[in-house]
Amino acid sequence: MNNFIKFISMRAGNFSLALFIVMLCASISTMAQGDGARFYWKGFMGTNAVPVIVNSMGGNANPMDPSNTVIPGSEFSAAMSMAGYARMLPIGKRSALISVLVPMGRISGVASLDGIDFSATSRGFGDPMVQFSINVIGPKAIMNIPDILRYKPGFSLDILGSLAVPIGQYDNTIPINIGQNRWYGRIGIPIVWQIGQWIPGKRTTFEFLPAVWFFTDNKDFVGKTMSTKPKYQLEAHLTRDFMERMWGSFDVISYLGGKSTVDGVEGDALSNLGLGGTLGYQINENMQLTLSYNTTVNDNDAEDLKMDGFRITFLYGWHKLIEGMHRLKGNE
Amino acid sequence: MKYLLSFFLTGAMLFRGETKAQVREEAKAQTPEKRPNIVLILADDMGFSDMGMFGSEIRTPNLDSLAQSGVRFTNFYTCASSSPTRSMLLTGQDTHINGLGAMDEWTAPAQMGKEGYEGNLRTSLVTLPQLLKDAGYHTYMVGKWHLGKAPDKIPAARGFERDFTLLDGMGSYWDMTNMTALNHTSVFTEDGKYLTKLPKNYYATKTYTDKLISFIDKNHGDGKPFFAYVCHQAPHDPYHLPKDWRNRHVGEYDKGWDIVRQERLKKQKEFGIIPENTQLAERMWFVPDYSILAPATRAVLGRKMELYAGLIENMDYHIGRLIDHLKEIGEYENTIFIVFGDNGAEGNDLGAMIGGTPGTLNYLYFATKWSNTDLNAWGEPHSYVGYGPGWAQVSMTPFSQYKGWMAEGGIHNALVVSGPINKLPKGSINHGTMFVTDIMPTLLEVAGANYPETFNGKAQPKLTGKSWLPVLNGQAASPRTDEDYIAMEVFGNRALRQGDWKIRWEIKPIGKSDWELFNLAQDPGERNDLAAQYPDKLKEMLILWDKYVQENNVILPDRTLFETLEDQLPARVPVQDGYPPLNYIRQFIPPADMMAKPKKIKNN
Repeated sequence: MNNFIKFISMRAGNFSLALFIVMLCASISTMAQGDGARFYWKGFMGTNAVPVIVNSMGGNANPMDPSNTVIPGSEFSAAMSMAGYARMLPIGKRSALISVLVPMGRISGVASLDGIDFSATSRGFGDPMVQFSINVIGPKAIMNIPDILRYKPGFSLDILGSLAVPIGQYDNTIPINIGQNRWYGRIGIPIVWQIGQWIPGKRTTFEFLPAVWFFTDNKDFVGKTMSTKPKYQLEAHLTRDFMERMWGSFDVISYLGGKSTVDGVEGDALSNLGLGGTLGYQINENMQLTLSYNTTVNDNDAEDLKMDGFRITFLYGWHKLIEGMHRLKGNE
Repeated sequence: MKYLLSFFLTGAMLFRGETKAQVREEAKAQTPEKRPNIVLILADDMGFSDMGMFGSEIRTPNLDSLAQSGVRFTNFYTCASSSPTRSMLLTGQDTHINGLGAMDEWTAPAQMGKEGYEGNLRTSLVTLPQLLKDAGYHTYMVGKWHLGKAPDKIPAARGFERDFTLLDGMGSYWDMTNMTALNHTSVFTEDGKYLTKLPKNYYATKTYTDKLISFIDKNHGDGKPFFAYVCHQAPHDPYHLPKDWRNRHVGEYDKGWDIVRQERLKKQKEFGIIPENTQLAERMWFVPDYSILAPATRAVLGRKMELYAGLIENMDYHIGRLIDHLKEIGEYENTIFIVFGDNGAEGNDLGAMIGGTPGTLNYLYFATKWSNTDLNAWGEPHSYVGYGPGWAQVSMTPFSQYKGWMAEGGIHNALVVSGPINKLPKGSINHGTMFVTDIMPTLLEVAGANYPETFNGKAQPKLTGKSWLPVLNGQAASPRTDEDYIAMEVFGNRALRQGDWKIRWEIKPIGKSDWELFNLAQDPGERNDLAAQYPDKLKEMLILWDKYVQENNVILPDRTLFETLEDQLPARVPVQDGYPPLNYIRQFIPPADMMAKPKKIKNN
């Protein structure tokens, strides 16, 4: 029997690279950087993943506030990390992803609101966000290794819904908080469009994420009520493999709308464009690392959103079948 | 005879000083029929059962159309390897006479420097295209040559008027990438010139067909027939094929080689290709029962066969283009087609043999040039896929073994002949014993050409092949009598067939390193070695073997390609369906009414 196995491993060739199970991420679009490239690629159903994200961001809006409410003249800087859990699961014959992400860290900033200057630091846990997405157009769910081997996204379209639960740390005496003290969420349709062949080292995709964010009111924003109209997100990425394990992307993100009103005083709606780039590296079958930078570009006016940031994402994924195969291999 | 007459008349008129045009016109007037064109299609490593009309599920409508309008020969033999077969085809001589007593890649020390073992076609021998050219044929070649690269050995020097040729034995279908660190670039010729680069949009099968069509068109209308030697690289590994052809069988082969072999066997019996009582050859003992393989392994191995099938279908498509073109220009009805594979299907892992040893130059070369290993890259430039012994046995259904070996799976090929020389009912099947050396005398007869006693002042050995025309005319069931025999040797492996009997000697562990005896009429799968049961028959056939050795100066190699195989393969065991039962015993499910939860233990 051992001979048979050796025979097969010789004949089956090197397809281990096709067994990457880390082909998913958890949404981290609480920042102006968006979800990022290659977020909505599909993986082996049953795959679990833990993302750890480190952000360094700054600008004239609270990076943790998904409405990106601009406070003219303000200066925020944030050192954040996020950790979460995601799992791919089949629903019907479609692939779905459920994830939860908890932000944590520290934000400090200087802001002036209604003539009152604030200089504050906020630290602790933010609002956990739960997200669910399901594919509606594209290849069927990857249920087994042959499906992985034959997977090609072609044109793939998902529907997603996110919801942040307002249980993060919040101080109603300052405008700078990690928690937002209100429910918010979004619906969107992530699209992955394969350009050319699906060969590691040569994969190219064009990816879009149109989404709409909805917010309830924060009824205790420094003692006032903050309302925010729906915000429209359009994210696009042109991604390309540089090598089998290394890829990069050109990222564009735009936000529109999301006008905030604080006790009847209207702010400006967003109309900004951000550009950036991402480098990704698949460390092994279980681990992936990405590094990205994004900055707003049409931000000359005081009311314009100014924000930039670095983000490092480490993702560890596992699947019981793949882990079992590793154990057997280790015992040979 | 009428062709011969026409040839002499033409020669005589030219001698009288008449212009070629006048000669052509007069010849036309005097010759009721133009001599037929000949298209000889050699598919590299195509197996016995790979064409639809020989039992395959691979879609080959154009090859099938030739079979349906012609004859299928079910007992056609080649040598067990590429260039030896080609050498016999082009000279009509045994390999040990014509220079391919050993392939140049594997010439053994004992054979080096010996006449007949040059590893390329001896220039002292006349070739089929040379004689056909002399007889007034245009002679064209496209595809793989593998019979020598020096200027005096290339197709243009060996009788081909036009050529577009890969001189190497294998290589990329997409570019000039070849297989080893020291022989890294494939060498091509076109009309006798060595190419510095390939044409734009080169893809072997397509370009060969395009070139041949252009050759035919260039001279079409001058009244001369043509001989086209179409040596497709397909379906030799690496399996390179255009994207459109890669995904026509996705998942179809996940069921595995055992089932596909059974399906092909069933079809072959329905077609009458093989006797009703034929048993499949034993699966090679180191090839696993597909049913025990994991789905992923099935998918990966199945993918290899998907590509192979696509490669053959692509080749069939281009053969169809050639057929259609001949119909368009009005030549199809007057064209003989001869189609076959040059040896058994390839079950050896050439990629691993060449580039599979870390630390070697060739490994480094493979890492640079042949490492496009992702499953989705298979078929692309720099990918290397061969389907291995399990699928090779499918291609050789119902036979045992594959290329390089002397079981029927290495040397027994499908042969289709169609066109004006066939007087048998369309779609006929013939079971006569045919050999690749027969092609030379057959085609010389068709062309009305003589085989010379000397060539360039050198005496020519006699042709040993038998013309097929008596068979195609319906005058004989086989070109051979019961006393005639055919024999061959390559890599030290040997075989001889006479009537229904066959002896073979193969190196361990594929063979026994001893002579085996089979009755092919009763046992085409060579399951039962009858050497011990019929010692007299064995002895009788060994006498013929000794005769063959003497007549053909056979020098057995002291080193061979397979000399370390016994150390590489698992110990040989019989392959019996359902053994060991451990692999097949399924979960026991008790009767539902007898199932219960465990009872509680008191005080627990």
